[in-house]
Amino acid sequence: MAKDIVAVIGAAQTKFKTHYADKTYIELAQDAAKLAMDEAGVTPDEIDAVVFSMAPTQFMGVNDCDRWATSHVWGAGKPYMRIHAGGATGGSALQAGYVHIASGVYRTVLVVGADRVAETPDAQHILNLIWDRFYEHDFALNTVTMTALAAQRYMARYGATEEQFARVVVRGRKNAMGNPYAHLKGAITVDDVMNSPRVAYPYKRFDICPRSSGAAAVVLSNLDVAKQKCARPAFVNGVSAITHSVFMGDRMGVYSETEFADHDGEHIAAYEAYRQAGITDPASQIQVAELYDPFSTFQFPIVEGLGFCGRGRAAAISDEGGWDMVGGQVAVNPSGGTLCTNPIGVTGLVRIVDAANQIMGKAGQNQLPGVHNAVATAAGGSTQFFTVTMLGDDHVAPRTNV
Amino acid sequence: MDVFVIGQAVHKPAARIGDKRLEELVFDTTHAALADAGVKRAQIDHVTIAGCDELDGRSISSMLLAAPAGAQLRDEMKCTDSGLTGLCLEAMRLEAEIFDLGLLVSWSKPSTAPLEDVMRMRCEPFYTRPVGLNMAITDGLFAQAAGAKYGFDEFDADEAVLDSYRRAGRNPRGMGHAVPHVEAIATSPYVATPLRQAHQAPITDGAVAMVVASARWLKSNPRAKPLARVSGIGWRNEEYDLGADRLAGLSGFRATLDDALKMAGVKSTADLDLLELDSQTGFHELAYRAVLNGHAPKAISTSGGAFAQNPYFCTGLINAAEAILQLSDQAGPIQIPGAKRAVAHGSHGFAQQGNVAVVLERV
Repeated sequence: MAKDIVAVIGAAQTKFKTHYADKTYIELAQDAAKLAMDEAGVTPDEIDAVVFSMAPTQFMGVNDCDRWATSHVWGAGKPYMRIHAGGATGGSALQAGYVHIASGVYRTVLVVGADRVAETPDAQHILNLIWDRFYEHDFALNTVTMTALAAQRYMARYGATEEQFARVVVRGRKNAMGNPYAHLKGAITVDDVMNSPRVAYPYKRFDICPRSSGAAAVVLSNLDVAKQKCARPAFVNGVSAITHSVFMGDRMGVYSETEFADHDGEHIAAYEAYRQAGITDPASQIQVAELYDPFSTFQFPIVEGLGFCGRGRAAAISDEGGWDMVGGQVAVNPSGGTLCTNPIGVTGLVRIVDAANQIMGKAGQNQLPGVHNAVATAAGGSTQFFTVTMLGDDHVAPRTNV
Repeated sequence: MDVFVIGQAVHKPAARIGDKRLEELVFDTTHAALADAGVKRAQIDHVTIAGCDELDGRSISSMLLAAPAGAQLRDEMKCTDSGLTGLCLEAMRLEAEIFDLGLLVSWSKPSTAPLEDVMRMRCEPFYTRPVGLNMAITDGLFAQAAGAKYGFDEFDADEAVLDSYRRAGRNPRGMGHAVPHVEAIATSPYVATPLRQAHQAPITDGAVAMVVASARWLKSNPRAKPLARVSGIGWRNEEYDLGADRLAGLSGFRATLDDALKMAGVKSTADLDLLELDSQTGFHELAYRAVLNGHAPKAISTSGGAFAQNPYFCTGLINAAEAILQLSDQAGPIQIPGAKRAVAHGSHGFAQQGNVAVVLERV
């Protein structure tokens, strides 16, 4: 419980696609900023500070591109900082915006970002450069091969199959059909996934997210502003981020505090966020989960880590429809999730936008009834940076009022 | 704002720290800060990192550096603007009352990533990159615009640089650069008229770490001795595009100082015992002093600022560390007797697009 209450009063995203030939990077960011401010009913003059969400700038080719975007997101002359945590950037940026307000320093903050991942001919080459230059560059290690290793370990531990992962893709693409902003969508079958070209075992092409371009933004405010501007804000009731060692081998085995295959950092972050938000039984208290799952194999360990079921149970529950948007015990990725849309520098923020809009009743065709609590996650680095953000339709008491 | 620095460490600077990997540089500095604070990493509940991928020559540099910075299985957040921006973020994280004891770690090793190559790639691809804009040229444009507005020229900059080196020479924690002869400054090659090579503060490698605590933590740990209180923070960005007003107006510098002083309840910079400026060139030093004209603090950049050491990304945070040493009577031969209140300034981006200020007070 923080000092001041923080709420999302406006959340927006652009459409996502591979290339935007008709807009520059800064125009994309501006589009999202304007959409979010319009949703919040605030003008740029009412924004006290800006947090910019951007992961490696090598994808789009302008170093520290947040500086270029300053004026276009109405940040010139204002407190302005950029947050970067790899794939977890959007979640971390939201949490940075949160502390701007929770600390009592500012009243209204715009969190905004954009990415153009496909600007580089080969994102995986850039993602090879995240590794240690002396020991790991030459291993052809990138985010695909890295996470494939974790998936193999998960399969070995719990018996999950490629077909079960394929069902995650089918469900995501189907959900995305109701999301006008999603990059990939459509009715596909398990066979379609299984027959797509092999990339790195157990991945086929359809198991892997696209390289997306687009932008997202959120307007955060304190309780006073939220009361004036928003009939149904999404309160930020819990925030947590956990960082792990970059070395995957140090996250498994008898001497490890955590288990690499289980995305354990996410579990630690989730239960801290739940503690702050007063969530004691996540499976019954949380209606929507927007997960950072750029690969089909991420979803099972994440929902287990979030406490929606026991370890090794998620695949079977998935087969029974337990994570379906309609009729599931928790609606997992009603937006289609990261498998369908991955603008890396803002993906975590897109998760927040989609989760907040479910709380605020603004999720359009995919709006679910009775959403009181939603959780949004993000992950980055060598699946080592984990953020978990709890959103609710009511706020928990601030510490100063306890 | 009630946030306290209870320990800190600044790595010994060098033009090139060639005997350590970046991870070792960060680990050693973080370890020394924890030792200075007398706390164990196990007591730390969060870490704030300020780092720049591009200057580190890596795509996500915190992947390898978070653990050496103490963030293994801790709540960690990274900003990319400047080291001193990291202190502002860290202060807000503590002030939000969700944490109690944190590490702030920042580093810069430009010897492994040539600064001007990184800066040139900061140019957008349509207009400024094709014309070859870089940091030296933007500083040259700044020198022209600010000189015209405030009435100084390169000869004044020669003297400003000389004065900075003299102050830096008295700082035992600096590089110990020899104080150059004024003629050597005045005849050094032009890099962008009127900016000469010797007007620029030499770039160095370095790192800095601080252990920062909430008021609540201090209350429950009465044996801990805070070095200084963070009472005000401010940071602002100006436009990316460079016009005459943007270059010489220094509106970001003014507003940032105003924000931090207002939060700390300080009326004027004249009420400060010390202001440590992040002046990357002699022209910057002159321009900042011109803005302060009539409201000058009792002392300015006693440490020598960037001319003492200049690990570019975290020079502003080094300024904070120097100010904290003054407020805790640990500044050695450059100690200002009885210093009670200081401001650390940092800047970043082309022609100081970003400015940061932190008010620090004696406890």
